[in-house]
Amino acid sequence: MGKRKQRLLRALGRSAEGVLRGLEEAADRPKQLDYFIEVMRAAYVDDCLAERLELSEPRPKVVGIYCVMAPEELVYAAGAIPLRLCGGSHEASCAGDELAPRDACPVVKSALGSTALGAPSLYELCDVVVVPTTCDAKRKMGEELAQHTEVWVLDVPHVKESEGARRQWLEELHGFKRDLERLTGNRIKRRALKEAIAMLGRAQHQARRLYQLRQAPVPVVRGSEAALALHAFAFDRADSWTEAMTRLNDELEERTRHQQPSQGAQRPRLMLAGAPSIFPNWKLPNLIEEMGGALVTDESCVGDRYLYDPVGAVENTMEDMMVALGSRYLMPCTCPSFAPNDDRLFRLRQAVEDFQLDGVLYLVLKGCVIYDFELQRVEKLMRELGLPVLRIETDYNPEDVEQLRTRVEAFIEMIQENTQLEVGA
Amino acid sequence: MRVTRLRWLVLAVCFVLLTFGGRMGVHLGAYLPTFACYFTGFDSYGGACFLAPLQFALAAGSVDGLLKALLYVVIAILLIIPLGSAWCGWVCPFAFVQDVLDLIRRKLGLGYLRFPEGLREGLRPAKWVFLFIMLLLPLWAAFPILVPSVARHLNIPFCELCPVRYIMPMLTGRASYMGVDLENATTIILSGLGVFFAILTLVLSLFKRRFWCAYCPMVLVLSFFRRISLPKLKKDVQKCTRCEICYNVCPMDVEQVFKEREKENVTFPDCVLCLACIEHCPEDDALRATWAGKTFFRSTRKGFSRRRKIGVDRHKNKDN
Ligand code: SF4
Ligand code: SF4
Ligand code: SF4
Ligand code: SF4
Ligand code: SF4
Repeated sequence: MGKRKQRLLRALGRSAEGVLRGLEEAADRPKQLDYFIEVMRAAYVDDCLAERLELSEPRPKVVGIYCVMAPEELVYAAGAIPLRLCGGSHEASCAGDELAPRDACPVVKSALGSTALGAPSLYELCDVVVVPTTCDAKRKMGEELAQHTEVWVLDVPHVKESEGARRQWLEELHGFKRDLERLTGNRIKRRALKEAIAMLGRAQHQARRLYQLRQAPVPVVRGSEAALALHAFAFDRADSWTEAMTRLNDELEERTRHQQPSQGAQRPRLMLAGAPSIFPNWKLPNLIEEMGGALVTDESCVGDRYLYDPVGAVENTMEDMMVALGSRYLMPCTCPSFAPNDDRLFRLRQAVEDFQLDGVLYLVLKGCVIYDFELQRVEKLMRELGLPVLRIETDYNPEDVEQLRTRVEAFIEMIQENTQLEVGA
Repeated sequence: MRVTRLRWLVLAVCFVLLTFGGRMGVHLGAYLPTFACYFTGFDSYGGACFLAPLQFALAAGSVDGLLKALLYVVIAILLIIPLGSAWCGWVCPFAFVQDVLDLIRRKLGLGYLRFPEGLREGLRPAKWVFLFIMLLLPLWAAFPILVPSVARHLNIPFCELCPVRYIMPMLTGRASYMGVDLENATTIILSGLGVFFAILTLVLSLFKRRFWCAYCPMVLVLSFFRRISLPKLKKDVQKCTRCEICYNVCPMDVEQVFKEREKENVTFPDCVLCLACIEHCPEDDALRATWAGKTFFRSTRKGFSRRRKIGVDRHKNKDN
């Protein structure tokens, strides 16, 4: 093992462990959260995901996936295991600095760094990686990754409306299916796909349960905890994750019944919008909670948006299931790589209502143009709804935490003062 | 699958009652705005399509005939108002036939065909053409000013073309209607086309959901009253995620329901109110069905999961 790799592994482990410890320090955390903490620990700290996943001999193929447009149902139906690879590590992004232009976003740098050095080793575990053509950075990243591993580029149309685009997308998924069959040597049969859809359907059902539980007036789970639990899906088998999530939801339901708040009930209810906070980049979730906010939801593709939508197959014919997958992984997706993307504004408007939000923190990862572009529209919408928005531009570097702390604190204080004024008036 | 099951039950009962009810003493007359074919025979049908008597009345060419035609139309409207296009989703015996063919397709594990938008647009006028044939040609037969030799045989021109006329009577043993009518050139052409449509419909219904309904003039007539008829499909545009599920499950390929971003009323012309979209919409209250303004069915994520047997056994007594 190379020196650089070892160094990266150690550094990665340290910062990941820091985040996980932080979560474990909260004595009032849900008991069932520990499962998800262990998943993340296996992936980033102990670097033993292969063992944890119990990849039996002959080892099943592992398919690395970026973004949220590649249907994991197909991967499971082919008898392979999907892992989600979008990167959130500062150390890996430093390693990736030399592999990407200076202005590339840290998500991409981190993924490049991790792939090039094979750390954490789950990146090495993947027999192939799938890169959907979402934003420019991801697309070019796919090209660079090809130096290190086999890459399948999934051509995602950027205009969802048109019939031609949707048809082409369906073709693309058929191609993805054929590629998977070639990789694994298994033909994807109707029954296997039906079962995979049902299995992920159960996962999506539990994710939605969590989503609804978090709408309670008294939050029963911290945002940082919920986000971690959802994120763990990236590194776990879907059925094990679903079981753990069912237990977590049961516990949270119990808490709701007994009105056991996870933190003070009076905290301003905040959404973390914009670019995703990917583990172990827990900077903002932690800051929000440390500074007295309740992080009740996000719109992140590793968080609340990851497993929100279900697959609506009804016929269980191959064609119908493929059409349903095509719809699921394209149409309701509100990733700003789509244009027009009004769908996102509708979703945000609904979230404000569902979660009774008091304010929005908007994360712009340095170098990410598309989320920044849409900020204006989001600000306009929030103005209309009377909600303050705080734009935070940062990367994975922990150096600016103190400076961000002041801004987040001021933002939360302002919301608290405003609500007090309202109550007083 | 609750609504789907209920709809199958209602469709099947209506199929039996309307097609064979006459033999059991059901006589609702030939006033119905649905394709319960008149040519299944007086002795057999329990209630029949008003289009045949309407064309006969128009073709009579008398004041009496015209008044009668008017009466048929008025009765039809009175029947349309309470049910709207649900006549097509829940009552029509020919819908039942098509749905059975569709079920066979599913059981065979075959996918469905969806025509491209361009083709659908191009074929859209077919309904209108049928409607004009139905209303104007009988009048020409009544007042044969031009080419009387042709006009004389145009009493019931749409029924001659209607595929249902060649299919449903088969089921009631009136095989005499089945073939091409060789009486003269006009009837040969019309009934030849009719037989062709019938075969086309039977074959394509195995591949395309509700193949014939896309061209049926009855759904067009029903859609004229969609503003005043009582059942409606409504959408909360903010709650909709545009997941496209409602489009995929729609037997009529009504695309506008998922695309709509402004209007609440999404009872579009081709909709047959089968309610499949509400049944499978995964967002709470994004879609609902109302009758005279009162909601009687709404979409829920819970229902979506339950229909897929997700989260049912584990949490039987819990509300999740
Ligand atoms: S969307 Fe933004 S943050 Fe995500 S990969 Fe693209 S540029 Fe980076
Ligand atoms: S042939 Fe068609 S239009 Fe005529 S009565 Fe029968 S179903 Fe109605
Ligand atoms: S459109 Fe279909 S359901 Fe309606 S009357 Fe015509 S055949 Fe029957
Ligand atoms: S199924 Fe429901 S949420 Fe999905 S597009 Fe249709 S109305 Fe919208
Ligand atoms: S829009 Fe809905 S109710 Fe109307 S036909 Fe389609 S699925 Fe049925």
